[in-house]
Amino acid sequence: MARLAMLIDLSRCLGCQACVIACKAGREIPPGERWIEIREVVVGRFPELRGAFVPHRCFHCAEAACVQVCPTRALYKKDGFTVVDFERCTGCGYCAEVCPFGVPRIMDGRVSKCASCLDLVQMGWEPWCVQTCPAGALQCGPREEILTEARTRVAALRDRYPNAQIYGETQMGGLGVILILTEPPEVLGLPPQPQMPPLALWKGGAQPLSLGALVLSVITSGIAFFIARRRHLEENGARKGSEPITPASETRKE
Amino acid sequence: MTLTRREFLRRLGAFAGAWAGLSQLGEPVLRFLRARQIRWPWYRPEEIRVTYNYCDMCMWRCGMRVYSVNGRVVKVEGNPKDPKSRGRLCGRGQAAVAHLYDPDRLRKPLIRTGERGTWSFREATWEEALDRAAEALARLRDQYGPESVAWFAHTTGDFWFGDYLPLAFGSPNVGKPSTGLCLTPREIAAQITFGRGVGGHEPVDWENTRYIVLIGNHIGENAHNTVMQDFARALARGAKLVVVDPRYSTAAMKAHRWLPIKPGTDTALLLAWMNVLITEGLYDREYIEKYTIGFERLAEHIQPFTPEWAAPITELPAEVIREVAREMAAHRPRAVVPPGRHVVWYGNDTQRMRALFILNVLLGNIGRPGGFYIPRAPALDPYPHPPFPVEVAAGGCGAAAAGLKIPDTPGHPPRADGVGSKFATGPVVIQELIEPMITGQPYPIRGLVVYGVNLFHSIPNVPRTIEALKRLEFVLAIDVLPQEHLAWADIILPEATFLERYDELWVASHRTPYIALREPAVEPLPDTRPGWWIARELGMRLGLADYFAWSDIEEYLNTRLMSVGLSLEKLREAEGIFTWSGKPYLEDYGEGETPFPTPSGKIEIYSEALARAGFDPLPVYEPVEEPPPGYFRLLYGRHPLHTFGKTQNNPWLAEVYPENEVWINEEAAAALGLKTGDRVILENQDGVRSGPVRVRATPRIRKDAVYLVHGFGHRGSRLSRAEGRGASDNMLITRYRLDPISGGAGMRVNFVRLIREV
Ligand code: SF4
Ligand code: SF4
Ligand code: SF4
Repeated sequence: MARLAMLIDLSRCLGCQACVIACKAGREIPPGERWIEIREVVVGRFPELRGAFVPHRCFHCAEAACVQVCPTRALYKKDGFTVVDFERCTGCGYCAEVCPFGVPRIMDGRVSKCASCLDLVQMGWEPWCVQTCPAGALQCGPREEILTEARTRVAALRDRYPNAQIYGETQMGGLGVILILTEPPEVLGLPPQPQMPPLALWKGGAQPLSLGALVLSVITSGIAFFIARRRHLEENGARKGSEPITPASETRKE
Repeated sequence: MTLTRREFLRRLGAFAGAWAGLSQLGEPVLRFLRARQIRWPWYRPEEIRVTYNYCDMCMWRCGMRVYSVNGRVVKVEGNPKDPKSRGRLCGRGQAAVAHLYDPDRLRKPLIRTGERGTWSFREATWEEALDRAAEALARLRDQYGPESVAWFAHTTGDFWFGDYLPLAFGSPNVGKPSTGLCLTPREIAAQITFGRGVGGHEPVDWENTRYIVLIGNHIGENAHNTVMQDFARALARGAKLVVVDPRYSTAAMKAHRWLPIKPGTDTALLLAWMNVLITEGLYDREYIEKYTIGFERLAEHIQPFTPEWAAPITELPAEVIREVAREMAAHRPRAVVPPGRHVVWYGNDTQRMRALFILNVLLGNIGRPGGFYIPRAPALDPYPHPPFPVEVAAGGCGAAAAGLKIPDTPGHPPRADGVGSKFATGPVVIQELIEPMITGQPYPIRGLVVYGVNLFHSIPNVPRTIEALKRLEFVLAIDVLPQEHLAWADIILPEATFLERYDELWVASHRTPYIALREPAVEPLPDTRPGWWIARELGMRLGLADYFAWSDIEEYLNTRLMSVGLSLEKLREAEGIFTWSGKPYLEDYGEGETPFPTPSGKIEIYSEALARAGFDPLPVYEPVEEPPPGYFRLLYGRHPLHTFGKTQNNPWLAEVYPENEVWINEEAAAALGLKTGDRVILENQDGVRSGPVRVRATPRIRKDAVYLVHGFGHRGSRLSRAEGRGASDNMLITRYRLDPISGGAGMRVNFVRLIREV
């Protein structure tokens, strides 16, 4: 199959969270887990406000840090998406540690993140979230087509949103999720230039050396587990690290 | 790339063979596939059973396809054939499965053993519970007349307990919250102006509109699926959007202009807009001449209401008011001011809605592309039954009475809600049926049947409701979940959810009139029963067998469908939906045919009927009471994942939005030393206090008001997830102002202060 991508059009998203529930329902995600989180961003001072809903979910990076560090190949790339073999996942938490977007969580001893609904797409259907989105903010299709559509839309949006822009065309080797932003990424809590963390680079390079690296990874995954766990606890508390950078603004997740 | 669902199912069949081999290896293999999320469905595809339904997670009734496997519902999705869902569902609809399998559901008929309000019940058989319920109702009827029993009903299954059975029983006192607590003023205003109500589904021609003004309309938070779809598409097509709201709502985020109006002054703004349209000659002269009467009197009436007059009242700049009016005019008739829902604000709501409708009329957009289409309903015969002893008075979403006529049946007990004295006209207003339970005026109501209405989260002045519940001789509750008011019932009958039952057909008034099927996807939980069955069993025991001549619901439905040449079988083949063509625009109406059945056959800008009844024949602005110092006006509204007080316990919805917060302007919060996350108690003007609730300090609201998402703060329920979470707006609404025209209960007249929880 051609390289696929999803489109998230922030100018259309109404923050209704139908996608969140549809994903939960369709993928039968266990209680307490969600693969989409709708973040609300409002900037400015009353009454001069601007705002948007930002669906925060796996961005399916082409050069995916999580895939590179995953010692068990539970995470791998397929048709442009970062898919998951949950059976292989040992819950080491590397992926959660290296993802530049802070997407994967370790829940109940395994990774928890959007697995892409590639199964549905292969049947010629749409991912659950895309199928249901009442606002038509989501699409899924060949990445080239999605990019073309995104360009057309952004051009049409400039009037209403002077900062309208595409996000994901180049970041991390090109994301599998193309976003249409109404504000610059930093306003919406997205890193303008997300970086592959050094650990992932190292692992990416080291992995072909296999055996030695494997031994190492067994050791480091123990360490990573603690890192991941600490991070998880932190998130439950103050959500450090993933808070969008929006000075003089209000940012919250529903 | 995308397939139709039908094609999808065909293909499922095609690779079913390949699957059969795999799946015959048994459950472990399926578990393996499922755990790996390798492909959906992870069931043997040939096992998937598709049934059709219309959603009950709110009253919008989106058409659904329900997938079930081995007697278990696994997924619901929008029915692509349905004109409302078009294959999509909102988050609540998507969570229908979690509603069905909510472990807190009622599972046995219950009979009270101890004090009312204490949840003292014992389990009973259906036989016993039905016998005793029918006995009690029959006793009240025989001793005091059928009018001594009130019937309160809501949800999309309310036909049986909000229409059919009470009418057969002979009680005129049938109340639905969707009238006096929601839409009545709007429907009466439309009735007076256009000779027809708006209807449950606002007939906005989103597809063709170029300029949208939302006032009292919260699309996105009010998650009516079709409206979200149409609204988002209209904006994507480049329509301009103005949002008038004291709160920077979801819709306001999308707007070109946000007008943070002072609460309670909307009518002043609407009058000022009319003033600009008329004084600057921007209105649609031709339309006015052809379709309306009374324009000259409006032109005169409107003179003093300039933008400069409205500016200090609304706290909006006169220039902005003027510009928006001009922009509207520049886009007419493809400019529209859609009426909101839940219009019961200040007790002058019929007049405000009249102002809104007349503004649209000046834009010449009624029955014109880009404004409002004219909906039609399919004409299905009812199942033949003897005439009802009383006239239909309950209405429902979008029910209006004929003009200002009081809908009573001569020779029969009048309604007890004070129509004709407390207020002029309209369907029964539920909140005015409480007082007769306490005072016995105009006559005592002694019994109550309550179906799907949470009495404490819908009817204002909860202490009064509790007082009434203490005095009633008999209370029968039919419900799915152990909502708090059930503690006050004598008998509780557990209903099956909408996914487990047949129901009355949904006969939709729409651009394209249509009917929708509700059929069970799975067997009801043991010892729960469908509403139609409960109504019929009660009816038989009440000596109303003639009204239940059908042997089962399938016969009932088939008979109704036959009147339009259909059958259950055919409706199923048509994938649960059957659609007719409509007459959406004025041009579809010939000479001498009018879509406006008013006394004059025209749109009545000036209303003789109102004048005769002693009301303002043209809308006027009345100032509303201001919050006392230290208090904020209590505003309330919706969250897209919740419906009324119904969904807070839904396992999935509760997970994503478990409790509400009190929104307060960030500067106002700082002045009180409060910040986001602090917990406070809200105390209203009467000293009534809410439970603790978190503060949300935000720039998204004016300084003079606070806002709560409605439906939270369940107290005294048996809802394990919802109990005690958040604050209830309705608990704080201890007073309301009755709209003298429609009987709507204006509830934005309550003020609260924030007290830090210690
Ligand atoms: S369903 Fe669509 S509109 Fe709703 S939150 Fe998700 S992306 Fe946004
Ligand atoms: S693509 Fe599938 S798994 Fe990913 S968020 Fe959408 S519904 Fe969930
Ligand atoms: S709007 Fe949502 S909850 Fe209401 S009927 Fe439609 S899908 Fe169901």
